[in-house]
Amino acid sequence: MLALALACPTAAQEVTVPRSAVAGTDVTLSTTGSGKADFYLVGPGVASKSKVSLGEEIRVPGDQLRYAGKYLAIACSATCNSGEFFVTAAQPASLAFLVHPSRVPARQPDAVSGVVLLFDKFDNLVVASETINFQVKGANETLFSRAISTHDGEAWFRTSSGKTAGAVRLMAAVGDLSAQRALQQVASEPCHLRIKAQPTAKGIEVETEPVRDCAGNPISDGTIVTFTGTDPEGKISIDAPIKGDVARAHMKDAEPVVISAACGVAMSNELRIDLKR
Amino acid sequence: MRRTEKIRMPGGHQEPEVRRRRSQKRRAFQTSRYSLWIASLMFLFSLAAPADGPDISVQVDITKAGPRKIEAQTEGRILADYRMAWTDLAQALNANEAGGFAGLFVGNAKQWLEQTVTSQRRSGVSTRYSNQSHKLQAVFYAPEGDLIELHDLAEYDAQVLAGGKVIHQDHGVHRYVVLMTPGADRWVIRELTEVREF
Repeated sequence: MLALALACPTAAQEVTVPRSAVAGTDVTLSTTGSGKADFYLVGPGVASKSKVSLGEEIRVPGDQLRYAGKYLAIACSATCNSGEFFVTAAQPASLAFLVHPSRVPARQPDAVSGVVLLFDKFDNLVVASETINFQVKGANETLFSRAISTHDGEAWFRTSSGKTAGAVRLMAAVGDLSAQRALQQVASEPCHLRIKAQPTAKGIEVETEPVRDCAGNPISDGTIVTFTGTDPEGKISIDAPIKGDVARAHMKDAEPVVISAACGVAMSNELRIDLKR
Repeated sequence: MRRTEKIRMPGGHQEPEVRRRRSQKRRAFQTSRYSLWIASLMFLFSLAAPADGPDISVQVDITKAGPRKIEAQTEGRILADYRMAWTDLAQALNANEAGGFAGLFVGNAKQWLEQTVTSQRRSGVSTRYSNQSHKLQAVFYAPEGDLIELHDLAEYDAQVLAGGKVIHQDHGVHRYVVLMTPGADRWVIRELTEVREF
């Protein structure tokens, strides 16, 4: 217990306060002296005034101490004396789990990050150190698993994305509390782009083999493949989206033509087609 | 060129007229030059003085922030918004007006500030902060830049008044743990908690 007598050189009364208290719990203060006094409790979220009898204990209900921080207990009769005490956050009751990004390409170093903030039931930041268990799990693999202590209420991690496309679950837990988030792991850049062509009556039908990244994950539908045909008169380019792992294009060309394709950083094989033969 | 043309102009009274005009021009030029100097000085003073409130000084140290590096523009914004937030806080708790937070407090911080103002008004209490000095230390800047945690070593004079009479006053060092997040056009305070020690 800590006794403080402030603001008055001839203190008739002293206010004795606890050194600290927990948010939401009752606190008992004591006073010295005699007679009636005005008692003020001033702190975050509260500035109450009541009549008290000096020399008796003063009970401060927990609902006046919901917020963590510094509180002043001031007793005024002829003069005013005060004591100060700190209220700390209660036990963790919720955790905010911020995860980035929501979609991530496979096999990217340090591409996934998570931050946890711990709060008590009054939404005070729990600054006392707690251990958070982080887990990041892909479809067939555990990408990250570690216990990390909070500093001033926060803990964070960063890890690489996995090899396989699909949903990734991220979990953070402390005691009985846990939070779960999900992100989508998608194929990385295309790898080994190969094309094939088929002459038709109206020109050339050209299509890719299934487009995949280097780990074998199919590239997302909608990704653009650019087909380029070169004939003696010049060049023609056609952008076609991947649909069902394959991109297709039709070229109207009667001249001998060289066809190639590109998608992201991947270049395809070249096809030489002479329709006049 | 122009000067020669004026001297050659016909009419006996033209030369004194030209001189008068020149003298007027010179005076006008000097006046405008002094005005420019005064305006420049005023501008420099306005830069040197704290933008929001005369007695709030805020410094920020970002050398220990991580894992993300804080850009200079972000640092400046945080500094300005934090100073503005304390200006608003001091005004609100002095005048017991909760409307002046200008959107700089959200969540838990806004909630306890509003409750303090309401509670102060009900019990006839007000709080005055003056001679504020805040030394901010950025201790965590989230990997995606969506959260910053700061330690504020604040020093100020505080007075608690009841019915216009000072019932408590102190001058001391205060330690705050601060959580700020980016809003639409500013950094807002989500948590502002005074602690005994960092």
